[in-house]
Amino acid sequence: MTREKVLKSVLWFFTGILATVTVARFLKGLGATTALNDATPWGLWIAFDVMSGVALAAGGFMVAATVYIFGRKEYTPFARPAILTAFLGYAAVSVGLLYDLGIPLHVWHPIIYQQYHSVLFEVGICVMLYLTVLFLEFCPVILEHSCFRHPLFRKVHELLKSFAIPLVVAGIVLSTLHQSSLGSLFLITPYRVYPLWYSPIIWILFLISAAGLGLTVVITESLFSSWFFRHKSNLRLLSHLARAASVILFFYLALRLADLAARGQLGWVLTGSWQALVFVLELSLVALAVILFQSSRIRTSSVGLSIGALLSIAGVIGYRFNVSIVTFSRPENMSYFPSWIEIVVTLGIMAGALLVFIFFVEHLAVFPSESEVDEPAFAHPSASLAVNDPLTMRLLLPESIAAVRRYSLAALIGAALAVSLLSENVRSGAFDLKEPVSPPLQVTGSSEPSTGVSSITRLLAVFRERQRYESDSVRLFLIDGNRNGRLVVFDHDAHAVRLGGQAACATCHHENLPFRENTSCRECHRDMYSQTDIFRHPDHVQKLNGNQGCVRCHTEPGMIKTRDTSLSCGTCHTRRPEASRIIQSNEEGLKGLAPGYMDAMHNLCTRCHRMMVEESPADYERAFAECAHCHEEQGSSYVHDLGPYSAEGKL
Amino acid sequence: MSQAMAILIDVTRCTGCEACVEACKEENDLGKDLPRRWKQRIDDLSATRYTTITRRPDNHFVRQLCRHCLEPACVSACIVGALTKTEEGPVIYDPDKCIGCRYCMMACPYGIPRYDWEQPTPFVKKCTLCYPRLQEGLLPACVEACPYDATFFGPRIEMLAEAHRLIEAEPERYLPRVYGEYEIGGTSVLYISDIPLDFLSFRPDLGNEPLPQLTWAALSKVPPIVAGVGCIMTGVWWVVNRRMQLAEEKHSRDTKKEQDGSDS
Repeated sequence: MTREKVLKSVLWFFTGILATVTVARFLKGLGATTALNDATPWGLWIAFDVMSGVALAAGGFMVAATVYIFGRKEYTPFARPAILTAFLGYAAVSVGLLYDLGIPLHVWHPIIYQQYHSVLFEVGICVMLYLTVLFLEFCPVILEHSCFRHPLFRKVHELLKSFAIPLVVAGIVLSTLHQSSLGSLFLITPYRVYPLWYSPIIWILFLISAAGLGLTVVITESLFSSWFFRHKSNLRLLSHLARAASVILFFYLALRLADLAARGQLGWVLTGSWQALVFVLELSLVALAVILFQSSRIRTSSVGLSIGALLSIAGVIGYRFNVSIVTFSRPENMSYFPSWIEIVVTLGIMAGALLVFIFFVEHLAVFPSESEVDEPAFAHPSASLAVNDPLTMRLLLPESIAAVRRYSLAALIGAALAVSLLSENVRSGAFDLKEPVSPPLQVTGSSEPSTGVSSITRLLAVFRERQRYESDSVRLFLIDGNRNGRLVVFDHDAHAVRLGGQAACATCHHENLPFRENTSCRECHRDMYSQTDIFRHPDHVQKLNGNQGCVRCHTEPGMIKTRDTSLSCGTCHTRRPEASRIIQSNEEGLKGLAPGYMDAMHNLCTRCHRMMVEESPADYERAFAECAHCHEEQGSSYVHDLGPYSAEGKL
Repeated sequence: MSQAMAILIDVTRCTGCEACVEACKEENDLGKDLPRRWKQRIDDLSATRYTTITRRPDNHFVRQLCRHCLEPACVSACIVGALTKTEEGPVIYDPDKCIGCRYCMMACPYGIPRYDWEQPTPFVKKCTLCYPRLQEGLLPACVEACPYDATFFGPRIEMLAEAHRLIEAEPERYLPRVYGEYEIGGTSVLYISDIPLDFLSFRPDLGNEPLPQLTWAALSKVPPIVAGVGCIMTGVWWVVNRRMQLAEEKHSRDTKKEQDGSDS
């Protein structure tokens, strides 16, 4: 009983987490909840929930073929659990897909917009049809339940039974198609899948590996059930399955290596890259399982069987992961690791599927021979009233009610924990990445800079060469707000002189902090790209005598007091330098918000430069108003910043 | 205008002024670029930037945008036909069909389509070669905006001829190759350049074979697989079933005989 309570509580806990993050996922979107990015459009949900999920559910068609087509009736005990596992597996795949699709409401579109040249279309249609086939295959088991005693249900039951063979054949055909097509999905990406994984016959490899995996999943599932439901597992039959699986998996390994060798791609293993290491690891997992299954002693012990099955499962799932995420090429600094939400969605769906599996086993004749022996777990309608145990002071509830309370609590704890873990980003849907502005470096003309930044030294050398600045007193600002190496050299003093000395400060320094003569740009424009709030509400409250002062700015008492409904700053601060020719502050839209540093600088510098070109085209060339005029001579200083798909980012 | 059109980009003339980017943003109403988790840099291609200038060492500027391949991988990959290749050249997108599977983003060898990750209902975002403007007989916005003649627009045949003419006229100025003429079956955006443009794709050595053919090699085998597997499975079942029936009949006959024998 304890293992059942513990496992079910854990499963309900994960289902509770799933409930919370589901709300977050569908309200806030993929950007807020996943780690997916433009270079990694497919992540954990596709690699595991879909690609691996479908492969894991391959046991259904393998066992159905063995029992119903090849007439090996001794494997009949595996048929019902395998078909149930497959049905729940495919249901989990479909649910997982809904999380991953950008527009899940359009999931049915492939039915009306057929695209026969798209592999994904074939996969989608096959999975839809196969899910239906699996449901029909499993339906008789449901209809055997005592609540379907009505003659109509009996008729349906008979009908479905008589269609068993066509359904099994259809299931095999559909499985063959989409198990292989999941591999074909990557035929179109020869430039992104690493050569050790890309193959023109990747679809055959996917099919064979799925067939082998299906059998080892049947083994795992059977061992789990016998542990959980305390059945005795038929180790002799399982060992036969293991031998069949090892033959299939050996064939998969051999074909994979032979294909690479025949196409002359095997040399990639020797490159010593991390991908080669991953390749060796992935294949040795499967190889180890094949070797273990050769020994009949290991094959007939439940521990040996579990280890071998888990190794092969890891190896084949690893294959799916490596093709679709791990070695899928992308720019170096756009790596992908699933967010915790992606991980708990995957775990939650699996937990849900497992709970449904347990429910079906408890209430239906999934394991026909044993179910009569074992009593269903919840069938203890002992005392119908709660009893207070005088010794322990605990309220003893009938097991059915206690179970409901226990599992509800587990789910609730999971849901609450997930709420507390949701980051600010997810809750508010705010995506701004903060990038504080660094002050410009200052260097004086002739003295060698002590900062040791090579690009600065080089810049000075360039400037001296041109002999534009010979005196020692020249100060240069090296503006690089986000320190990405793309410097702009700004000669502050030269600009001051050109614009007319002292009187011209306000041309650029359009606003200063209180009691300050001049304020540098970055003190208000504090973030590289995002707006900064520079309005201090508490200071204004104090200055305007607390609550009596509200109406000074919030002049409309009937309106909600927000920034939008208040007066603009210029109404009171009349001595502020208002929109000049160059600084055009948009007070109405931006009350107390300073634009991002880059926008501020570009608006100031480019606007002035453009005006110069327009007003006196004779003195200024067109290039004077273009990027390269200020962002010049920096070519090699930001080599590290090349991209988006620089040669280093690949292979 | 049913002739296949193309853009020709002369990398040697581009000064990186980004007039094309501005024009594109205005035409497509794209809004401001903001730093986001899912893009590499602020000036990377993104849902708010359909064309961008990639800076290369020594003041080389390479404009990026959708190549509008002649046989586009994204169109062949799309599960619902939300992406279509038009006769005029542009590859266009229908948000009403899209289910958001993002297979197009996986399939593109240049990594062009971007996703509007920020939205709860996101769409794929990429250059449309200003298809609506072409239908009105206008030039694409980026081409019209270029102040340095670094971007031309016209029928693809003429653009190719023009590219070869430019290279022949000044062989020392250009590499002897028109990028986009043959790669993956040819593209509707052609480049002539003095620096190698290998970095624009996921691997430097893009072959000339169109990518949809790779898929078709496997996909064309679907009908024979359906027929073959179906027939084999039914056949096997029939044979196995028949043998079991025969064995059963024989068994019952034998037992009957034995019984008769013992009776007599």
